[in-house]
Amino acid sequence: MKILVTAKRVEDPESKIKVKPDGSGIVPEGLKYKINPFDEIAVEEALRLSAAHTGDVVVVSIGTKDVHEQLRHALAMGATKAVWVNHTGALDQLAIARLLQKVVEKEKPDLVILGKQSIDDDQNQVGQYLAEFLGWSQATFASKVEALDSDAEKNKQPGLKLTADKKGLTVVREVDGGLSTLECSLPAVVTTDLRLNQPRYASLPGIMKAKSKPIEELTPAALAVDVAPKLTVTKLSSPPARKAGIKVADVPALVEKLKNEAKAF
Amino acid sequence: MSVGINRYQADLKDLSFVLEQFGFSGIAGQGPFAGWGPDEAQAVLKETYRFAREVLGPLNASGDREGCKLVDGQVVTPKGFKDAWTKLYEAGFKSVSVSPDHGGQGAPQMLYVLVEELLSGANPAFNMYPGLSWGAAELIAECGTEAQRKRYTEKMLNGTWGGTMCLTEPHAGSDVGSAKSKAIKQADGTYAISGTKIFISGGDHDLAKNIIHLVLARVENAPAGTKGLSLFIVPKLKVNADGSEGAPNDVSVASIEHKMGINGSATCVLNFGENGNCRGELVGTVENLGMSHMFKMMNGARIAVGLQGLATASTAYLNALSYAKDRKQGANFKFFKDPSKPRVAILEHPDVRRMLLEMKAVVEGTRALVVKLAAHRDQVLLYQGKDDEKAAYHQGQVDLLTPLVKAYGSEESFRLCAQAIQVYGGAGFLKDWPVEQYTRDAKIYSIYEGTTHIQSMDLVGRKLGQNGGANFQAFMSDVSAFVEKHRAHPTLGKAIESLGTASEALMQVAMAMLGWSQSDKVALVPLNANRTLMMFSQLAVGWLLLDAAVKAGEKAAALPKGHADLPFYEGKQASALWYARNVVPQVESASKLALAEDESPVQISDAAFASVDA
Repeated sequence: MKILVTAKRVEDPESKIKVKPDGSGIVPEGLKYKINPFDEIAVEEALRLSAAHTGDVVVVSIGTKDVHEQLRHALAMGATKAVWVNHTGALDQLAIARLLQKVVEKEKPDLVILGKQSIDDDQNQVGQYLAEFLGWSQATFASKVEALDSDAEKNKQPGLKLTADKKGLTVVREVDGGLSTLECSLPAVVTTDLRLNQPRYASLPGIMKAKSKPIEELTPAALAVDVAPKLTVTKLSSPPARKAGIKVADVPALVEKLKNEAKAF
Repeated sequence: MSVGINRYQADLKDLSFVLEQFGFSGIAGQGPFAGWGPDEAQAVLKETYRFAREVLGPLNASGDREGCKLVDGQVVTPKGFKDAWTKLYEAGFKSVSVSPDHGGQGAPQMLYVLVEELLSGANPAFNMYPGLSWGAAELIAECGTEAQRKRYTEKMLNGTWGGTMCLTEPHAGSDVGSAKSKAIKQADGTYAISGTKIFISGGDHDLAKNIIHLVLARVENAPAGTKGLSLFIVPKLKVNADGSEGAPNDVSVASIEHKMGINGSATCVLNFGENGNCRGELVGTVENLGMSHMFKMMNGARIAVGLQGLATASTAYLNALSYAKDRKQGANFKFFKDPSKPRVAILEHPDVRRMLLEMKAVVEGTRALVVKLAAHRDQVLLYQGKDDEKAAYHQGQVDLLTPLVKAYGSEESFRLCAQAIQVYGGAGFLKDWPVEQYTRDAKIYSIYEGTTHIQSMDLVGRKLGQNGGANFQAFMSDVSAFVEKHRAHPTLGKAIESLGTASEALMQVAMAMLGWSQSDKVALVPLNANRTLMMFSQLAVGWLLLDAAVKAGEKAAALPKGHADLPFYEGKQASALWYARNVVPQVESASKLALAEDESPVQISDAAFASVDA
C-alpha cells in the first residue's frame, strides 16, 4: 500500500509572531518553524497503516529549500522518500492542490493523507480541492473512537481501517456533536483531525537514517502547473490589544452595559 | 497523584553555540563520527528537547510529590515513569553516543552531554534510572568478556533491563575500601555474593524486566582496602542460558530511603545472598580489579552529576527569568518611594538583574566547561593510535577537568537554585513554583559519586601532579596563549588580562600545596583543597566565557543592524564581562586566604566546638 502525505512548514506557535509594520506579512527573523501538527498526525497515521499493511510512505512539501527540515523530520519519523516542490513565493490553496494533484498522478499512491488544515492560514481547503481534482473519494476530519490514552493508541494501531476486501477504507470522522463513521473506496483523500493519533518522536536511529533517504526535487514548471495566485493577501494586522476591564457597581449596571454597550442581547 | 505540567526550559541557542565554540563541525564527520554533522546535531537537540518537555517535564513535580513506594519487597515508581521509560527507549535518545557495535549511534561526546543535559534537566530523578543503566552497560562493554558483552550490554542499552552500581555499604561510603561484601568462588566459576549495599540509586524498580547490579565485593583472602575489591555482575533475576529472565537471585530490597530531593528515584538498601543463593559473575576474568573497572563508570558518572547540576541550574535560571519578567512589584528604583509611579516587573530592579546575570554567566560557563571536557574526550578517540602525543594531551585535560565539572557543576547548582528562589521571593518558597524542588534535588549533586571534598582531593592529590604536572601545565599554557592572543581586544581586553592575574594566583597556591604536603603543615592540603578546586574552576570558567565572548563578537560583527540574533551575542559578552569583573578577581583573594596558612580548624580542640553534651 502506497501512501502520500504532506508536510507543510509552518511557524512554531511558541515563537513570538509579529506583523511587519506595513502589514505585508510577518517578520521572519528569529522565528522557529515546525511541521504543521495536522500533517504530523497524517505522517504518523500513514506510518501505522504502512506498518500494518506493508507499503511505502512518500512525503511531499512545497516551498524553498528550508522545507527540507520538515521533509527530513518526516523521513526521520519513518517515511520512505520525500518529494520537494521547489517554489519561492506565495501560493494559494488552489495552486497547492493543483501541484499536489500532479505529484499524486506521478507517484500513484493508493491513499493521500493530509492535515485538515495548516496552523498558519487555517484554510481547510486543500484536501477537498485535491479530492475533487483527482476525482477520488474524500473523508475529512478523520478521528477515532479510542482515546489517546487507550491501549490501541499505545500499541500504535491505525485509526483508519481497510475494509475486508482491502478496496475501501473505514473512516471515523469528527462532526458536530459526535463521531460519524463512513466507508469510502480507494483511492481516497483523507484529512486528519487532532484526535486521530499522537505522533511519535523522530527516533535517534531515524534521524540518522533520514540523512541518506532520497529527496526528489520537482518544480511547478516541470509539473506544468500555473501557480499565479488567484487569491492575494492585501494586508495583515495583529488583533487589537485587549482593553483593561472596568468594575460596575451592581447587577443592574452590568445588565445595562451588556445591553447598550456590548449589545449582547 | 495526577501528572502535572511541564516547567522545564532550556536555551537551545546556547547549546548550539557551545557546540561550535568547541569545534563540533570539525570533529563531526571525522573518523568514528563520520555519520554526524551539524544538521544531525540540531535535529537531535530539537527532538530531545521536545521529548524532554512533553514526556519527562510533566512528571517532574508529580514524581517528587508521589515518590517511590516499596510494596511487597518491590519498588513501585511514580505514575507515568514506566510509560516515559518505554517512550525514551523507543526514541533511542539514551544511545546517542553508544558505539554502533552495541546498537548505538556513535555520536561525539559533545552532543551526548547536551542530550543528557536536556533529559536530566526535565526530570533528574527519572533520568537516574536510564542513566545508571547506561553507565553499567558501558562498563560491561569495556571491561567484560565477549560473552558478558553479548549477554548483557544490548539489553541494558535498549531498556529491556536496567542497571546499577553498588559501592556504598553502611560503613564504607567515601571510604569505599572498607567494603565488607564477600564473594566466594564456586565450582562452576561463579561467585556466591553476600553483603549489604546502601544508597543504591535505582536499586529496584518496575521499569525493566530485570536489573543488572554491578557489585563491589571482596574475594576470600583478597588484600584489605581498595586493592582487594573485585567487581561482579549480579542480576536481580538469574539469566537463563537463552538470555531470558529466570528465578530470583536472592537480592532483596530491605528498604528505600526518604529523602530531601530526587524523590522519584528509588534509593535502596539491598541485601545480597541472605539465603546463600545469590550468584554473580566476575567482570572480565581477573580478580581485584574492581576499583579500576568501577572508575570507568565512576568518571562517566561524575561528569553526569556535573551535568545534572548544570541542567537543574539552567532551568532554575530560565524559570526565575520568566517570573521576573512577569511579576510586578514596586516602582522603578529611581522613584522607589513614589507610590504614584507605575509598578514595574521585578526584572527592572538592579538587584534582581544582578542575580539573574550571575545565574546566566555561571550556567553558560559551566556548560562551556562540560562541553570542553567532552570535546577532549572526542579528540582522544580521533587521535588514539595516530598521534599519541595529542591523544595524551587530550586525555590529560579530560582527567584534569573531571573533578572540576563534578564539583563546580554541583556546588554552583545548589547555590544558583537557592538564588532562583530568592528571585521569586516568597513565591519561590512555595510548591506552586518549580524552584524549591530544583533546590532540594540539587543538594545531592555535591554529595553522591564522590563529595566535593573527594573531588578536591582528587584534583590536588592526583590530577595537578599527574604526568609530572604536564596536564596542569598544558591547561595553564592554553590559558596564557589565549591571554596573549586577545589581550588587546577593544572591549574584552581588560577582562582577558585579569585571567593572567588569576592564573598566577592559582599557580602560587598549587606550589604551596606541594610544599605543605611534604611538611608538617600537611593539614593545609585538605583544608585548602576545596578552595583550590573552586579557584581553578573560576579561572577555567572565566576563560571559557571570555573565549565565547570573543567568538560571539565576531559572529555579531557579521550581522546587519537589528538582526534577531544580536541580543544573543550581546548576552554572551555580558556573561563574560560580569564573570570576569565579579568572580575571576576572587581567585586572587582566595589565594591570599590560602597562603595565610590558617590551620585553626585542626587546631581547635573537639571540646571547644560547643558546650553541649554530645
